[in-house]
Amino acid sequence: MTDYLNVALIFLASTIRLATPLLLAALGGLFSERAGVINIALEGLMLAGAFTAAAMTHYSGSPWIGLLAGIGAGVAVAALHAVASIRYRADQVVSGTAINILMLGVPAMLSGAFFLSSGATPQIPKENLIPLTPVVLALLLVAATWYVLYRTPFGLRLRAVGENPEAADAAGVSVTQMRYSAVLISGALAAVGGAYLSIGQSSLFTRNMTAGRGFIALAALIFGKWRPVQTMLACLLFGATEALAIRMQGVPIRGTEIPNQFVQIIPYVLTIVVLAGFIGHSRAPRALGIPYQKEK
Amino acid sequence: MKIDRRAARKVLTALFVALPLAAAACTMPADTGADGSKMRVGIVFDIGGKDDRSFNAAALVGVSCAATGTKPDGTPCEKPSLGVVVRDVEPGSPTSIEPAMRAFAERGYDLVIGVGFAQAPIMESVAKDYPNINFAIIDGVSELPNVASLVFREHEGSYLVGMIAARASRTGTLGFLGGMDIPLIHRFAKGYEEGARAVRPDVRIIQNYVGVTDGAWNNPGKGKELSLSQIGKGADVIFTAAGNSGLGAFDAVEQAGKGADGRATHFVIGVDSNQNMVKPGYVLTSMVKRVDNAVYDIIEDVVNRRFKGGFHVFGLSEDGVAYSLDQYNRDLIPADVLQEADAARQKIINGEIKVTDAMAK
Repeated sequence: MTDYLNVALIFLASTIRLATPLLLAALGGLFSERAGVINIALEGLMLAGAFTAAAMTHYSGSPWIGLLAGIGAGVAVAALHAVASIRYRADQVVSGTAINILMLGVPAMLSGAFFLSSGATPQIPKENLIPLTPVVLALLLVAATWYVLYRTPFGLRLRAVGENPEAADAAGVSVTQMRYSAVLISGALAAVGGAYLSIGQSSLFTRNMTAGRGFIALAALIFGKWRPVQTMLACLLFGATEALAIRMQGVPIRGTEIPNQFVQIIPYVLTIVVLAGFIGHSRAPRALGIPYQKEK
Repeated sequence: MKIDRRAARKVLTALFVALPLAAAACTMPADTGADGSKMRVGIVFDIGGKDDRSFNAAALVGVSCAATGTKPDGTPCEKPSLGVVVRDVEPGSPTSIEPAMRAFAERGYDLVIGVGFAQAPIMESVAKDYPNINFAIIDGVSELPNVASLVFREHEGSYLVGMIAARASRTGTLGFLGGMDIPLIHRFAKGYEEGARAVRPDVRIIQNYVGVTDGAWNNPGKGKELSLSQIGKGADVIFTAAGNSGLGAFDAVEQAGKGADGRATHFVIGVDSNQNMVKPGYVLTSMVKRVDNAVYDIIEDVVNRRFKGGFHVFGLSEDGVAYSLDQYNRDLIPADVLQEADAARQKIINGEIKVTDAMAK
């Protein structure tokens, strides 16, 4: 009996660890998208956060400075996306994709300049890692996001700007300002998700270490219908399927071993299945992806 | 300042078109320009990048020794500098491998080295177009006369570390963490398993792979999660052959900590480069694959004008594979286990022990 309990606890812990980076990035995406700005750049923002956090933790010896620097980098990169898509009304998908591509190269280049490396940082000693804080932070942030979104004037304005910017504008809300704040918050949260990968779960940054987690986070956000609690549940589901896939690998069922390739696609197949069929109608914020131009 | 939407879009589109071009330009090797008398060697690394502290890092040591006589970290090499000029390329994506290789061949480099099995088909097509240029592929096979196939008998080295692992295990359960699920990595896994069973027939081995795409070499988060799951199932020695992802296994065993006797409760076995110093005390040994020697030797062949295509095989007898023993792990392995492993090494070289090659048809 205690054996089963033990297995269940290990599985739960693994699920939460795998869901944490997704959840942080997805909450970031939620802010941006509820304000009407598509944020496909989550992957790139995570990479910016992951690299900067690892590099600064290495230099300062403090993961807290690393984490703050990572957040700063996430905000800075998100600012690029904000300026392109809000000020210059560029196509938000294109701008986001450009950032993702940019962030494949920039950490590699900087690691060359600082660490004579080509995409990795030195390893950080175990004492300087923060394996738990981001996990707790992610869960607290779900509650905070819910509160901000539904119980504060800021949240009301944010949602209004994403649904009907004209009306919000007429009511005296600055659409531009709200969208800027939302995209910058998005960068900060996604960067924490990235930092968790490099100074929480692992002990260094390696090239493209997010491995598509930013896109899974985006899927979780849509699956969660752009709502904080549902998004958290979606992230936990994705975390659980990955944890399951990890445990199913190489374990025979009734004597036949399931091919590894099949086990590995489970999380992705599940993503497609839930997105295509099971979530019912998931309605995006009405003004999502539409640049706002104030009427003259 | 007011910029209309159309213009902004045009700028972004232009940027978007320019980015891949710029990226492609970055992979173009810079020409030496200077001394025309020196042999020029071009090397195209694997997706893992040259400082994966493992496979690519070993190849880098080889070219670095040939060029300067010192390793990338500044320490002197065992062998002298060959006075060649080396240019390297780290492809950001699989699509930039071929242009990089062609660029070297186009400029008439004396030798073009491809690192990693994934480059074999690409090298095959490039080498066909440049029959007068010498090529070498590590871990891959080509039948063209101008391509040297540098292959290793990884199963032999893995057999020895399998023996050491089985002797060190208290639980009788071992882990294997592979990177990409491909036949080359199965060769490590199979040798490891056979070695472990040779000394402990009832040993249990849990095998996991990080993924099925080349992203599997660069996902330490998942590598750690897989290792923790193996530890959860009772594994106390984990052999990793997973590039950067393998570093996750190092984190996992470190997290498991040390027992009351000050000895780590769980161990990892490194791969390709000597990784004993990555987490001293937690690394039982490393299955060293002397990619550095293979690279140095082939460059030496070119310098001495005795380059030959075809197979260049590096096994235990050529010291192409080995288990590492240094000040970081000497106290972790008892003397009788070392003797046993050395005896097995001799028997494999003599042919008394046959280790299954998972890649042999």
